[in-house]
Amino acid sequence: MSLAWVLGKRALREGWRTPEALLPTLFIPLFFLVVNVGQAAKIFPSSSTAFLHGQGYGAFQLPSSLLLAASFGTAALFLVEDIEGGYFDKLRATPVPRTVLVLGRLIAESVKAVFIATVIVLVGLIFGISVASGPLGFVLLVGLTALWAVVYVGFMQLIALKTRSAAATNSGGLVFFPLLFLTPNFVPRHLLTRPMEIAATFNPVTYLMEALRSLILQDLVWSRILPGFAVVAVLGALMLALNVRMIRHYD
Amino acid sequence: MDDVAEVVERKPPAPERTGTSAAVQAEALVKHYPSKTGVIEAVRGVDLRIEAGEIFGFLGPNGAGKSTTVRMLTTLLSITSGVARVGGVDVAREPDAVRRLIGVALQEAGLDPRQTGRELLVLQAQLFGLSAHAATARAQDLLALVELEEAADRRIKGYSGGMKRRLDLASALVHEPDVLFLDEPTTGLDPASRLTVWEELRRINERGTTIFLTTQYLEEADQLCDRLAIIDNGLLVREGTPARLKAELRERLSLASEPTLDDVYLDATGRTRSRVAGEVQEVSA
Repeated sequence: MSLAWVLGKRALREGWRTPEALLPTLFIPLFFLVVNVGQAAKIFPSSSTAFLHGQGYGAFQLPSSLLLAASFGTAALFLVEDIEGGYFDKLRATPVPRTVLVLGRLIAESVKAVFIATVIVLVGLIFGISVASGPLGFVLLVGLTALWAVVYVGFMQLIALKTRSAAATNSGGLVFFPLLFLTPNFVPRHLLTRPMEIAATFNPVTYLMEALRSLILQDLVWSRILPGFAVVAVLGALMLALNVRMIRHYD
Repeated sequence: MDDVAEVVERKPPAPERTGTSAAVQAEALVKHYPSKTGVIEAVRGVDLRIEAGEIFGFLGPNGAGKSTTVRMLTTLLSITSGVARVGGVDVAREPDAVRRLIGVALQEAGLDPRQTGRELLVLQAQLFGLSAHAATARAQDLLALVELEEAADRRIKGYSGGMKRRLDLASALVHEPDVLFLDEPTTGLDPASRLTVWEELRRINERGTTIFLTTQYLEEADQLCDRLAIIDNGLLVREGTPARLKAELRERLSLASEPTLDDVYLDATGRTRSRVAGEVQEVSA
């Protein structure tokens, strides 16, 4: 684990020294939050919209922004740079377990995601959003977002390792947009049309979004929170296993 | 010496070593790549034996199989068939044990441009099992060895080509490897930087490190290597000391004067050249 942290620190330095890659992950989710609230807040006034639990529409939209921020997967693009520049081979020629080569970047991604999610939630708090589930809910909110970031960057790393192409990896990141929009993004699931509701039910991101939303709008409702954590646990284990397998067979 | 002691301390149980004292040994080494048009036979049965302490040169035209061979020997590429051993350890069966024995500097110095030279060396040393303290000390020693102390805390993206090569070389030495693999270590360097790298390689070799280097510069092979092999189209076509290879060519072609290594190379790879007034006119396959 200490070797994974050594590589994680290097990946964090890399992110810190490339602010032009980090800043859009903060700016774009906040931009979408402002735009979505601006477009739909009047349709859903807090006084007469039960699913808002007394908060403004911004509180309902915040999970979308958190998930978007966690789904940039810039770590996978840095990995492609390592591959193209030959540094990845340098790391592969060291006797560290192959799992460590994968974990280093994933650890760094989780730290970055905690930072970014915290900033976004704090900006939300400044603009009147509250985390109804309290301090523990805040921790769970940031933690679940960070875990999703790890899952998603794991997925993008698979593309990076397979294609070794920045363009393909970048395009792979766009997969998140259909996943995001096939969720109860603007209204709760029961208000979606039947086909959309079916699609959302089969979309794992739905359960993440509902868990995050529940933490913001309600007290700790474990029946909503746990499915979100179950999704990241299952997908996280799958991504880690696939990444390790890919790196072991990397030629 | 503390850092070296620490490397030894942290090493896992000694790997199974077989065969004799050869630093590098390959038997019928083959690498095939699948392609849309069939199978590409990049290496087609290479046999090599490099003794401990040698500087061994591996020459060949572009695409001959030099880098593929090096990548197989350094665990970076799977072996289609055949056996490779480094320090008596089977490359395919015990890759981690082999990685502890070797240092690798590949074509296109593989460095992280966002780190400083010192950070890169400290990280590399830690990945080979040194503690943070020992890694810092080792990095300082290596920066002195490759004369990069002044640039140590600058980001690598600002380094010149020669500085990058020297740093890459230093990063391959953090764990004092038994065998150093260098893939075209001086390609793209100006003559002064090339001489500096040669000098460093001689110093490293004098300390007992076996060096396996690929190069396209015949003068480099002539100057540095105790023995060399020429690979063409995936097969070894010559092997021996530079002097022996030249003598063999002179004898076989009944040449009046001593041939150069260029002549040996061109003869071995089936290429020809015509000289007009002492200048190279044409090289054709």
